[in-house]
Amino acid sequence: MFAFLVKRILYAIPVLLIVASLTFVLVRIVPGGPFDAERNLPKEIVANLEAKYNLNKPVHEQYFLYLGRLVKGDLGVSYKYANRTVNDIIGDAFPVSLQLGLVALVLAICIGVPLGALAGVNRGTAIDYISMFISTSGISLPSFVIGAGLIFIMGISLRILPVALWESPQHMILPAVTLAFGPAAYLARLTRASVLEILEKDWVRTARSKGLSKFSTVVKHVLRNAMIPVLTVLGPITASLITGSFVVEYIYAIPGMGRFFITAVSNRDYDLIMATTLVFSILLLITNTLVDIGYKFLDPRMEVDG
Amino acid sequence: MKKVKRDVFSRLKRIPTAHFSMWVVGIICLIALLSYLNVPLTPYSFDQTSETVLLGPSMAHWMGTDELGRDVLTRVIYGSRLSISIGIITALVGFLVGTLYGAIAGYVGGKVDSVLMRIVDIAYSLPDLLVMILLGVLIGRGTVGILLALALTSWRGTARLVRAQFIQLKNEEFVEAARAQGQNHLLIVLKHMLPNSLGPVIVAMTFTVPAAILSESTLSFIGLGLSPPACSWGTLASDGWRALRTHPHLIFFPSSFIFMTVLAFNFLGDGLRDAIDPRTRI
Amino acid sequence: MNLENTISNPQPTSLNRSSFIVSAIAIIAMSLVLLTGCASRSRFTPGVLRMNLGTEPPAIDWHITTDATSGDVIVNIMAGLTQYRKNLSAAPSCAESWEILDDGKRYVFHLRNDIFWTDGKPVTAYDFEYAWRRIEDPKTGAGYADFLNDVVNAKEINTGKIKDLTQLGAHALDAQTFEVRLKKPAAYFIYMTAHWATYPMRQDVVEKHKDRWTEPANIVTNGPFKLDRWQHDYKIELAANDKFFEGRPALDRIKMFMVAEQSTAFALFENDELDYVDNRSFSTHDVDRYRDSPYYKRVPLLQGTYIGFNCLKKPFDDKRVRRAIAMAVDKNVFPKLLRRGERPSNSWIPQEIPGSSSDAALTFDPEAARKDLADAGFAGGKGFPSVPLLYPNREDTRLIVESIQAQLKQNLGITIELLNQEWKVYLATRRQDPPQLFRANWIADFPDAQTFMNLFTTGNGNNHTRWSNKTYDKLVETAEGELDQKKRVGLYQQADRILCHDEAAIVPTFVTTQNLLLKPWTKGIEFNALDIQFFKTGRIDDSNESLNKVEPPAEIIKPATKPIEPANSEVKKP
Repeated sequence: MFAFLVKRILYAIPVLLIVASLTFVLVRIVPGGPFDAERNLPKEIVANLEAKYNLNKPVHEQYFLYLGRLVKGDLGVSYKYANRTVNDIIGDAFPVSLQLGLVALVLAICIGVPLGALAGVNRGTAIDYISMFISTSGISLPSFVIGAGLIFIMGISLRILPVALWESPQHMILPAVTLAFGPAAYLARLTRASVLEILEKDWVRTARSKGLSKFSTVVKHVLRNAMIPVLTVLGPITASLITGSFVVEYIYAIPGMGRFFITAVSNRDYDLIMATTLVFSILLLITNTLVDIGYKFLDPRMEVDG
Repeated sequence: MKKVKRDVFSRLKRIPTAHFSMWVVGIICLIALLSYLNVPLTPYSFDQTSETVLLGPSMAHWMGTDELGRDVLTRVIYGSRLSISIGIITALVGFLVGTLYGAIAGYVGGKVDSVLMRIVDIAYSLPDLLVMILLGVLIGRGTVGILLALALTSWRGTARLVRAQFIQLKNEEFVEAARAQGQNHLLIVLKHMLPNSLGPVIVAMTFTVPAAILSESTLSFIGLGLSPPACSWGTLASDGWRALRTHPHLIFFPSSFIFMTVLAFNFLGDGLRDAIDPRTRI
Repeated sequence: MNLENTISNPQPTSLNRSSFIVSAIAIIAMSLVLLTGCASRSRFTPGVLRMNLGTEPPAIDWHITTDATSGDVIVNIMAGLTQYRKNLSAAPSCAESWEILDDGKRYVFHLRNDIFWTDGKPVTAYDFEYAWRRIEDPKTGAGYADFLNDVVNAKEINTGKIKDLTQLGAHALDAQTFEVRLKKPAAYFIYMTAHWATYPMRQDVVEKHKDRWTEPANIVTNGPFKLDRWQHDYKIELAANDKFFEGRPALDRIKMFMVAEQSTAFALFENDELDYVDNRSFSTHDVDRYRDSPYYKRVPLLQGTYIGFNCLKKPFDDKRVRRAIAMAVDKNVFPKLLRRGERPSNSWIPQEIPGSSSDAALTFDPEAARKDLADAGFAGGKGFPSVPLLYPNREDTRLIVESIQAQLKQNLGITIELLNQEWKVYLATRRQDPPQLFRANWIADFPDAQTFMNLFTTGNGNNHTRWSNKTYDKLVETAEGELDQKKRVGLYQQADRILCHDEAAIVPTFVTTQNLLLKPWTKGIEFNALDIQFFKTGRIDDSNESLNKVEPPAEIIKPATKPIEPANSEVKKP
């Protein structure tokens, strides 16, 4: 296990370096600079600002300066929020996205997997069609429509839940449900397909013939094995849920990280763009590693390669 | 091959949801095609001077009118051609690029494979939205820009899928036999390997179409969608969702069309998977 | 893979399917109930105001920031030399009186001696001197540095020609006296001393905490409220300043949320989670539903919107083409589309400001427009190139430009392309290489025609039309130094007519209005035409007092120092 982790970390370093370099180049190719404010700044002042943030240096020099800071754990400064470092910004926003993302993840798994298993076991029956219809709805409606609908029904009409903001655990419910919709639907479809496949296997038939009820076969054995493809997609799903969603954070006015994927780009806030990308990549690497460890847990004999 | 195709088709017809979905997809594609023929249906057609702004559905305007007094039905029909073509073209581009990429990686193997797959890993590590936005800013807000941005994220899955298939197929007897006979590599890939790996890829494609339609609506929501007067279901939905309470027809009709199309493509994909994969045959 | 070992010892299970489903449902229902808790809550808290800022203020440092959101925070935690009365005349604040000397080229402000910073130190003229030097210092990188260009040596200092900051024509004569010397008389100067860019600042605090001096723990202010909490990108909380020199405000606390989406903010308002909404949170759809509410109010804003031509690019280098476009657009359509009290523009200077006139701009006349277009060689729109109209990516601007696109098609037979760019790119494009047509707006920094008319002089950094007219420049320059208000108004009216009628360098479209909806318990907040909101007179309570009084539009703007005659017929039309 230790060797496995070391291997993974060694693999992660070049990937992160390439991701950082690519993003660095990409954001600087795009037209527009960080100081194109609403009111036109005189040239001299823009020059001063650019000097303050080293933006007047040649690009390659900026790049090495950036990497140097990165190694020290300094993610840089935000140009838009003049008095805040990127470390501060991520430090404030990430815990919010993390909480919301984890709740949404649990919701997605708790709804998606049983729904899919139910459909798979009862293939071709009304239960199958109904649960597939529900799950497909989840990926057929844009999340802003789902969010607006939930705010209207649960908040304004029924008045049982707060419509937005981030004040108490109750405030988490609507955004988490909105966020969970898509992944839940995806997991349901995947689980169904996977359960169908496992049910055809010989050893399941053997188990059934030994007198196990269909239900306990499914719960005890089929699900466990059907979880392997589900686990595979959980890596990317978790990473994207935890880094937050622009649409959900925007609609519910939540101070999470997802918004930076959009606002940092429109503000040309170079260091913030870099940081959000890096956080996403690191999370992806971590969750994928966890998934691989999960494989071992589901089937100890499965080979996990770096 | 022909017989296999016919088999798949007849099996598809036996799955009621898939059969129904085929009809829905067909009709929607037909609407999209027909919109090219109907000349008076231009997105400009509106009349601001009369009091026709934001009317509810009526006999004159089946789906009501929008903020500028334009007929929503006209806009939805007009929007179908962009949404459908965005979906299909994105899927096709993803299919072609992904298959080529995955085929090379899987067939050649070794160092080439591991380099190519690292590139896919890196492409996955860049947040999709970021790449789409940067591309949108760079290329512009036209149909081409949107298509490119969406296509750029659609090839990676296909590439991985095809590679996995190829690695499996490479060790199959009939491929090894063909190699032993000294057949041209290109011929082996085209004649033996590709046809046998296409099943899952085609299924994946039917899922790419709805995903692209939805991604386009998210781009519109963020404000990076198409430039007016061009419109798609995505731009219609993202322009209309704020009117949920006052003028629900603005959001109801476009999102119903997205819903129906995505549902149909999904069921079609499910059906195809069941029909192609003999292990899960009913 | 072979997984047989996993089922090698099957155990009997007591669960059956239905009990599994039942228990699953029960668990989900229970957790929902727990999370939801008790739904009842009070509709407001007396003394606590909850409002929506719309976005995170980019900075609270009043030298760094240039935007209205930061302004809404700054004006409520600080006090300057002067302040705006409700009618936008300048009233004493930190300065209890001032003298205007040397034919309007020297101002001497006499400060009150009972004003204190939140840490207990007195506010002195030296705090103003430091602040004015800092805003002009190129090292500060202040967005509003050029705002004070009329002050002696200001321009030279902020462009780096003079390094010595003490050369700036703004000095503390003693702790209670602040002197400003101007390059030329400027009738509008007194307004600038009410603007946040000219507020005092504490040298010791800024130098001690550097970039972090505006964090709640560090900042020292002198206004009615203190910056108490700042959860970035989410909310700012202000608390009453007990030691405020005009007396402690009635509100104990202000919660300023940052809800970007209008419909969400409005849902919060309807759910009693916000105490009032303005344009930031009040979309046309919602205005439609509350138009008849007694709590719905409108305040005119001094914000003009226009369509600009790049006068150097074909075909708009020909003024007949520009005039044709100007006459082909029916401005009366816009209020019908946006329905938030927009007023179609008859001149570039908004009607509330002296200098405005009712007939400066070209009016809708498709017949004449087609004739002008034909004269320019594009009869019936034939041969007219497909030109782009650049606009920023915002909901209301989209409707406007789509309507213009259709009107030009209908009235002139020409096709224009809509070029939608997100905000930053839009600004960069407009600055570096303005396309043939662009949509833009301008909000007054102070209630004077100068802020609108200086914009289109040759070489102004914000004049994206690239239009240059010697007569116009001369008229505007003369008007700026002119102290006789009657003459000034006449000069501005002449210039306005050249801009919008004879030369048609821009097409002024409409002037915007602030739309407000208040809860019955929200009282006393001052909303002014510069889009700044003052909370020191605000109250949240359930007393039976009548609703917020909002001045009727005509009374919003009053002349600042001397009375100004309304526009009259004496002015010669060129």
